[in-house]
Amino acid sequence: MADVTLTVDGKKVTAPAGTLLIEACKTVGIEVPSFCYYPNLSLQGACRMCLVKIEKMPKLQTACTTVISEGMIVTSDSEEIKQARKSMLEMLLGNHPLDCPVCDAGGECELQDMTFSYGAAESKFMEAKNHKDEQQWSPVVFFDRPRCILCYRCVRVCGEGMDVWALGVQNRGVSSIIAPNKEDHLECEECGMCIDICPVGALTSGAYRYKTRPWEMKHVGTICTHCGDGCKTTLGVRRADTGMEIVRGDNRDKSGTNGDFLCIKGRYAFDFANHEERLTQPLIRKEGKLTPATWEEAFQLIGKKFAEVRDRDGGSAIGVIGSTRTTNEESYLLSKFARMVLKTNNVDHHRTADFPAFAAALRGKADATASMADVFTAPAILLIGNDPTEQHPLLAWQIRNNVRLHRSRLYVINSQAIKLRRQATNFMQIPAGAEGKVAAFLAGDDAAADAIINSSSTKDQWNSLRDTLRGEQNLVIAFGSEILGSDLSSLVTFGSAIAGAKFVCLADYANSRGAADMGLYPDLLPGYHPISGSSEFHTEWGEIPQAAGLDLSGMVEAASTNKLKALYVVGSNPIGRLKIDSFAFSNSFVVVQDMFLTETAVVADVALPAANAYEKSGTFTNTCGDLQLVKKAGEVTGTKADFEMIVRIADAMGFDVRKLVPIGGGTHADMGQSRGAQSGEADRHAVWLEAHGLEPKLSPFDPMAILDEIQRLVPGYDVSRMNLLAGNSQHTSLAKAGPGVAHRPESISPANDTLFSSGTLGHYSRALKSVMESHEVKPAEVAAD
Amino acid sequence: MKFSEEFEARFAEMVPHYPTKRSALVPTLLYAQDEVGFLSDEVIAELAGRLDLTELEVRNVISYYSMLTTKPRGKFNLQVCTNISCLVRGGEEILQHCAKKLGVGHKGTTPDGLFTLEEVECIGACSWAPAAQVNYDFHENLTTEKMDRVLDKCLAQAQEQLQRIKSVDSLADTLSQRSEG
Amino acid sequence: MPVLKNIAAIAKGMSITFMEMFQPTTVENYPDGKGPLRGARFEARFRGAHVLQRDENGLEKCVACFLCAANCPSNCIYIEAADNTAEHRVSGAERYAKVYNIDYNRCIFCGYCVEACPTDAITHGHGFELATFNASNLVYRKEQMLASRPAHMGANVVFNQADVDGGAPKEMVAGS
Repeated sequence: MADVTLTVDGKKVTAPAGTLLIEACKTVGIEVPSFCYYPNLSLQGACRMCLVKIEKMPKLQTACTTVISEGMIVTSDSEEIKQARKSMLEMLLGNHPLDCPVCDAGGECELQDMTFSYGAAESKFMEAKNHKDEQQWSPVVFFDRPRCILCYRCVRVCGEGMDVWALGVQNRGVSSIIAPNKEDHLECEECGMCIDICPVGALTSGAYRYKTRPWEMKHVGTICTHCGDGCKTTLGVRRADTGMEIVRGDNRDKSGTNGDFLCIKGRYAFDFANHEERLTQPLIRKEGKLTPATWEEAFQLIGKKFAEVRDRDGGSAIGVIGSTRTTNEESYLLSKFARMVLKTNNVDHHRTADFPAFAAALRGKADATASMADVFTAPAILLIGNDPTEQHPLLAWQIRNNVRLHRSRLYVINSQAIKLRRQATNFMQIPAGAEGKVAAFLAGDDAAADAIINSSSTKDQWNSLRDTLRGEQNLVIAFGSEILGSDLSSLVTFGSAIAGAKFVCLADYANSRGAADMGLYPDLLPGYHPISGSSEFHTEWGEIPQAAGLDLSGMVEAASTNKLKALYVVGSNPIGRLKIDSFAFSNSFVVVQDMFLTETAVVADVALPAANAYEKSGTFTNTCGDLQLVKKAGEVTGTKADFEMIVRIADAMGFDVRKLVPIGGGTHADMGQSRGAQSGEADRHAVWLEAHGLEPKLSPFDPMAILDEIQRLVPGYDVSRMNLLAGNSQHTSLAKAGPGVAHRPESISPANDTLFSSGTLGHYSRALKSVMESHEVKPAEVAAD
Repeated sequence: MKFSEEFEARFAEMVPHYPTKRSALVPTLLYAQDEVGFLSDEVIAELAGRLDLTELEVRNVISYYSMLTTKPRGKFNLQVCTNISCLVRGGEEILQHCAKKLGVGHKGTTPDGLFTLEEVECIGACSWAPAAQVNYDFHENLTTEKMDRVLDKCLAQAQEQLQRIKSVDSLADTLSQRSEG
Repeated sequence: MPVLKNIAAIAKGMSITFMEMFQPTTVENYPDGKGPLRGARFEARFRGAHVLQRDENGLEKCVACFLCAANCPSNCIYIEAADNTAEHRVSGAERYAKVYNIDYNRCIFCGYCVEACPTDAITHGHGFELATFNASNLVYRKEQMLASRPAHMGANVVFNQADVDGGAPKEMVAGS
């Protein structure tokens, strides 16, 4: 759009026509205060705080609803304006309780800040304040009515942003109140967006309520450990007897791809870290019972046993199961450790999407994967399978808001009437399990049409949909784990014919993509290089076994015939999640690294207490392939990061850890922990180094040393380190990945998590459990506007 | 939930007049209220479904407008205006008089369910102040005596209706007795 | 003559000394004085060990707003907050201090915490005998600093919602 030039406080401002005055002011550093205005939400003009003087207009105007025009002369600061804003504040404070010392928002309250700026602290009102008791609307949402200043941000974000429409405004004038959809409680997705967006303390979080105050916490922006979308959540941590306790998750740091968004899991489900069943010391099975032991004892035993089995029965008698929730560095290290130290290719993880086929199909195609940010800007989106509202809340948010704000066209093909159909330009329902046929049909196989037609669609409709899609440009194609193997490649064939088309392969769990990229497969090395071929890894890693190993089901079978003598499980719960018999590994020596005594850990011979992703540093790759930095926030005494444990086991087996973790030459100083700035005083030297763009990498437990190797060797991971460290997401590419291999479709089992469940972690989160209990039924779908 | 044919006809005629369905909400609510007497939970659920709105949205609108109510009202909804013109011409006295006579206050309903008294803002009859409205009928240039006559007339009308119902009932009784006999 | 002058000067000086010998003692006779303070006397504004006050119902005034901790220049106040419930009511507002520690190793008795307190919960008392042989004794817990309950409430009144609903506690009625 054409640019418009105007003058604000004597400064020339040029902005595209159609820009709101309040936004135009921001571009030249003039802050116009407001409560009700919120970027990307509909305009309200309710709070009257953004009043400015525009020449030739008789009265003060609201900057948040005024569109700029050529030659406009604006004054944003004068005695008159100050007075107007001050009297608005006085009105707002008329019935606002003075309980700031108790209020959870005290210290980060916009009303407090404005009162400090404009000084309307003394009230001229004689009337007594109208008190109403606080209400609990859901396990995680509390509403304190007198504190509400009626900016309607919560109502708009819930309706427009989340498409839930659970909050409304009742009555009018001074008696207006915010009301929940079920008279005295909420029936919603419990995302907590209303709490985050509330400028005052009217809506407060049940999880954080009265625990501490904002300035008492350290705020660490890290990546959520639940689904595969990679939202950035800001964790508020506080000193506690057991280390650093996470007391709050919110969206204070809006620098992530998720911007304003967080779902219930990112916001509240950090509490598993402080669950009382958390393991805090190594357990060794003695006389059939898991008994506490020292770390030394545990590592010595594991090292001895693993070395014994390897030397006696060969590496193929050892199985390794990796995790979808450990960092890339840990997954890579585990993959390397298995091949180099254990001499086994029996490596697998809980697969939730067919990334090898995805990588194979996109091989050689540059810019063929969409980042999470692309989903928000693409002019058209095709979604096949999956229910992002439940399984990929951020993706759903990006799609919804792309449709709302950019009028993007959304095509949904699903066997269920998923909630995103309400945003869809075209929603096609198909018989269950026919997603693969859709891919075939789109790729040009007209015979497949019969399998995807149901009572609500005709062949003509499908043909016209295919033609429409072929006519789109820069289409983002997102598909769920329903599409695998050859169907996936036919979908890519279809998409490749569309100019600028990009793909998103949806997997569950925080680092499923990372686990796949880092080669936690029996037949693939990092970067989808087949084990039997040749790659840089073969030369760098030296002698590694050449034959493809066993996958998970193969390991179970080998264990039943007593061929699998040892099993090493890192942060995974195959017995609990993949319906494996609990006695399957009873003849093997099982080592489990986990936070809790999961179904798998209880059958272990050695169980090691692991730190979770909120308690360590590293990187995660989200389902779109966006690489992001994971920062250490919490700490629970008695646990160790998986990284350290793998290195210690290698050391106990007599392996030179320098070959495993490439650390700096000559120096042997351990800088303490590579925990970064957030852990404060203990690590000042590391902080200094980081500030100067240097990294110590002196410790064998430093994941950054492995990140160097990942960036050097894994195709697509050669992204800007500076941007990564700065906390930005960096999109990785699959164009130069290895050719991959075909896998049986049964080896992939989706997590089927809902908005309120999160695999094994979900069992240990009180917040998720309490919400699940309060929703005996699934959140009812509500009508779209 | 079933509405009368008249309502259905009006509804069907009205909805296509608007660009979006939700625009038809306020008139629909008024028609439904006239028919049912008030906006019950059942009515709200039904209309929300018909207009693709959430129940919350319908409730938001109902709570905004004072002429919409979710509580049952009396047979005669007596609305006395006390806005400026009526006030200076004695609207307040009319209201007080009615309150005293009916024994109920603002938004109160008499125990027999006949009258609901309401103090309302301007009803657009300033030229003939003080004015009051009984359901949709205007009564202007009121004095307390005139107000009494209006109320008596309402009472008489109600009694007449009651008699008619009773006679129909007794007729029905006799008929049923006969058929049983 | 200078000799005489010097003698006069010494005599003048010594006269004050001898005169003072017959005057009553004016220094504080601490710790050998009378009374519980053993001879110590204080100005009202003296800033001694802190006292956490209670309100007229015997509830703690502290609402755990952390402003004292935020204001403390020596960072010696540690607070953990918790939620009041109907069954377990400790303070008058929604929140109370579950843990309230002051580390007297670090406290400089500047009084900023008292200034900052929005509920007048923390005050300076006149306690000054803080010396100890073990530094860990100098971390005072809330229980050590809390003012005693108002006399009319009895020492062991359990103040909770049931009491509020059921009227005044028995001890309160009996005592008043």
